[in-house]
Amino acid sequence: MKNIILGLTIAATTLTASSVTDTNSSGSIKEIVSSYLQMKNAFTEDNSTGAATAGKKLEAAFKSFDKSALTAAQKKTYEDVEADAREHAEHIGANGGNIAHQREHFDLLSKDIYDLVKAFGGGQVLYKDFDSMFNKGKGAFWLSETKEIRNPYMGKAMLTSGSIIEEIK
Amino acid sequence: MIIIQFIQPAHNTSEQVLATDISKTISISDSVKAILKISCCDCHSNNTIYPWYSNVQPVGWLMANHIKKGKVELNFSEFGGYSPRRQLSKLNGIANSIKDDIMPLKSYKIMHKSAQLSTDEKSLLINWAQQSIDSLSVIK
Repeated sequence: MKNIILGLTIAATTLTASSVTDTNSSGSIKEIVSSYLQMKNAFTEDNSTGAATAGKKLEAAFKSFDKSALTAAQKKTYEDVEADAREHAEHIGANGGNIAHQREHFDLLSKDIYDLVKAFGGGQVLYKDFDSMFNKGKGAFWLSETKEIRNPYMGKAMLTSGSIIEEIK
Repeated sequence: MIIIQFIQPAHNTSEQVLATDISKTISISDSVKAILKISCCDCHSNNTIYPWYSNVQPVGWLMANHIKKGKVELNFSEFGGYSPRRQLSKLNGIANSIKDDIMPLKSYKIMHKSAQLSTDEKSLLINWAQQSIDSLSVIK
């Protein structure tokens, strides 16, 4: 009996350990992307506090990202994006209640995440959506996990404005 | 109260213009330069112009902490050392925070009346940031 329990414990520990490594190897970009998408969805609902929570999560995802498996060139790309994106995530996290300011950072953050996904893959199909009105008519894009347009810059005021300009597989 | 007056924080002043100074990376007109110096550079460069009361503690300590944070966020003396991506982000941040009246900070403007930006000065700075963003984007 004792042996069976011990055996089971070891098996369970090994299983947990291997699943942890699995999520770490391909999962951290996934974690970054999922925190970004959580933030995007909060903005579509004009939820400033929700965006701030996701911002803190995104900052943590960048912090815990394991760079050891990257090639020198990949590392360079990652670090370039990270230095910028972390600051945006931090600002969005610290500015709950000021959604206009958060959205300005989200615009720049979206560029960073796009470059990251283009370089490393997003772990899922993503859509690059464009809204031509934000930024006084200069426009801005965002990434989405759904084909349906839900605009994070306009929120409830003009939720469905925008169009898909690229499908990232 | 008297004793703490002897604990003076180190001053943020440097005579040297670094090779990474923003003026060596992007073009800045004299009028924009003058506004940056008066309204921004006390906290966003390696050169603070200290008012007399900065020698009164704990005002000087608070100020030193403020300057430290400001420089982490954006340092015009080290701007050229930022990656092109961050340079673009910082310029966007400059335009946005002036437009949204986040910068210069209210607490700073109370003590530095001259740091307050007029509508004209604001649009001058925002246009400069915008032009710099466009010129950097072309290079990229």
